[in-house]
Amino acid sequence: MNNKGKSIDVIAWVLFFLAIGFFCLQVGYFLGHEKYQIEYIDNRLFYIINICFVICLFFAVVLLLRLNKISLWFTFIIGIVLIAVNIGLCISNNQQVRNIVSISPDFKHVLSIKEDRKEGESIYYRSSFLIFARPTEKLPYEMNGEFKVEWLANDIAAFTYKAKNQTVHQFIATYGDRNSGLSYYNVGPEIQGKWQGGDLEMISDTDGITVIEKKGITERYDWDHIVQFGTLAIVLMKNNEPVWTIALDTNFKVESDSSKFPTNEIILYRATMEENQPIQMQFKGLN
Amino acid sequence: MSLKKLIITVAILMVLVICIAIVAFQEDGQTTLSTPEQIFEEQKETENPSAELELDPLHPILTEDSIGYSLQSDELNITYNNGKSWTTVPVAISDLFSGEYNGNQQELIENSFVLNKERAAFLYTDGQNLASQRVVLKYSMDQGNTWQDGVVSEQFPVLRFRKVAFLNDQFGYVILSGDRTMSQEYSVVFITNDGGVTWKETNDSGVTRLISDGGFIDETTGFLSFGTINPEEPDFYVTQNSGESWTKSNIQIPTEFKQIFVTAEIPFKEDDHLAVLINQGPNGDYQGGKVKGKFISTDNGLNWTFQKEVVPCE
Repeated sequence: MNNKGKSIDVIAWVLFFLAIGFFCLQVGYFLGHEKYQIEYIDNRLFYIINICFVICLFFAVVLLLRLNKISLWFTFIIGIVLIAVNIGLCISNNQQVRNIVSISPDFKHVLSIKEDRKEGESIYYRSSFLIFARPTEKLPYEMNGEFKVEWLANDIAAFTYKAKNQTVHQFIATYGDRNSGLSYYNVGPEIQGKWQGGDLEMISDTDGITVIEKKGITERYDWDHIVQFGTLAIVLMKNNEPVWTIALDTNFKVESDSSKFPTNEIILYRATMEENQPIQMQFKGLN
Repeated sequence: MSLKKLIITVAILMVLVICIAIVAFQEDGQTTLSTPEQIFEEQKETENPSAELELDPLHPILTEDSIGYSLQSDELNITYNNGKSWTTVPVAISDLFSGEYNGNQQELIENSFVLNKERAAFLYTDGQNLASQRVVLKYSMDQGNTWQDGVVSEQFPVLRFRKVAFLNDQFGYVILSGDRTMSQEYSVVFITNDGGVTWKETNDSGVTRLISDGGFIDETTGFLSFGTINPEEPDFYVTQNSGESWTKSNIQIPTEFKQIFVTAEIPFKEDDHLAVLINQGPNGDYQGGKVKGKFISTDNGLNWTFQKEVVPCE
């Protein structure tokens, strides 16, 4: 066998074992997903993996078995049918369940939200292992289809969506901590003081949070209208709708010594469906 | 089988399995979402023990390697294979906790049962009159296939302390206390020599302090340790004739440990003598409260002398 033949054999075997790998993944998932209550982060992955399996197996079989013309056509048709069926089911599935997936800037976390279009329910999935996730929380409002995802930090994703009643809502997915994960803390007290960034000023004190825009608009939110997500973000609410999200930036460190001032940044992000950017805010001292 | 045939067989098998998986995936409801609440509900439903197979989701509290029990679904189930299959114990949960017990009912009362490869045995009470109930040992010697009742006491006042243990196939003991008023109560030891079928009440020790523990180390030698509320010194009794008579043990506590080592635990055999650990009781704070005094006896439990301080392994 010449070198070319050897290379083809190696490729064929690699493809064959890849096909076995995809097969094992699918069978493992199918047998274990109920027990471990996990799903693929995106339902379409099931069909995509099937398609990869079929492609790898097809080329492996063709290259390894040196098929004659009739067998080749037969195998090809089976492969095409399987791929077509998977594409069809993938499209049909996606019409029923909308998969919203976003990967964090550092590729460590995945935001996964699945919307059952028929039932109008949207479920937030928390990634548990590689491409698997667990259903964690049901979003409170039925989506009308408009949404956007913004990663405010490597471990904080803001999912802004419009509800059927045209109100705007925001869900903050948090994946980290700024205190070594040792204890729970409230974000509000950690950001006490005056913060400034862009055209905005923000003051956090014992009564609540005030956001002052340079245009002269001042909005005050008492602690009853501030909702915390994880230990990384709070959302300022007005009339049951979010107005601002405040997130602790990646370099923010929660100080156990309350006499120390924060030296790092926080992020202010307006809850709107329009295109907007998070604003970095710097600490400017106590009030 | 040639390599070619093997590849074809493996390929066909894999394609078939994937096709089945695709069909099952569609029928499995993967096209609709499971909400976190639904998953919780489904878990609760599958825990409903209408059939043995459906009991799989129960989570065993292990007593030995792969042997355990569960009090989920308001019944007592036991498993000998780490929760793969379960057997229901025919006893009501409330009867396992009756009397003066304020702890949680997620786990059985410590020492109120025996669960190992050879024997499953559970102490329970029977009867409507709480002031005078039957105390019974429900036991099985065939891993839960058949159950027998051994009546320990026909009438017993409101139960507080309960303990059952077996030293071998035949000999076992039950220690009960009850009818507590303030810090006084009645306590008694029962022994069996036929594996739990019949029980014989031993003679009363005459002590009315609250019992903290008790036990036998062989068929004739047993101990009772009293004092649970602010004990000042061990109150420790021994029998050397299977409970015919009880004698107060003499524990020589070094002066520096008086009022420190106050509650005796159950002795154990060590080389040619007996050893007992005496702990600091519920309020001890000597070196963190964990250090115990080890005492030894060369006359089978009548006299004890201090050997050393020990720090128990956590």
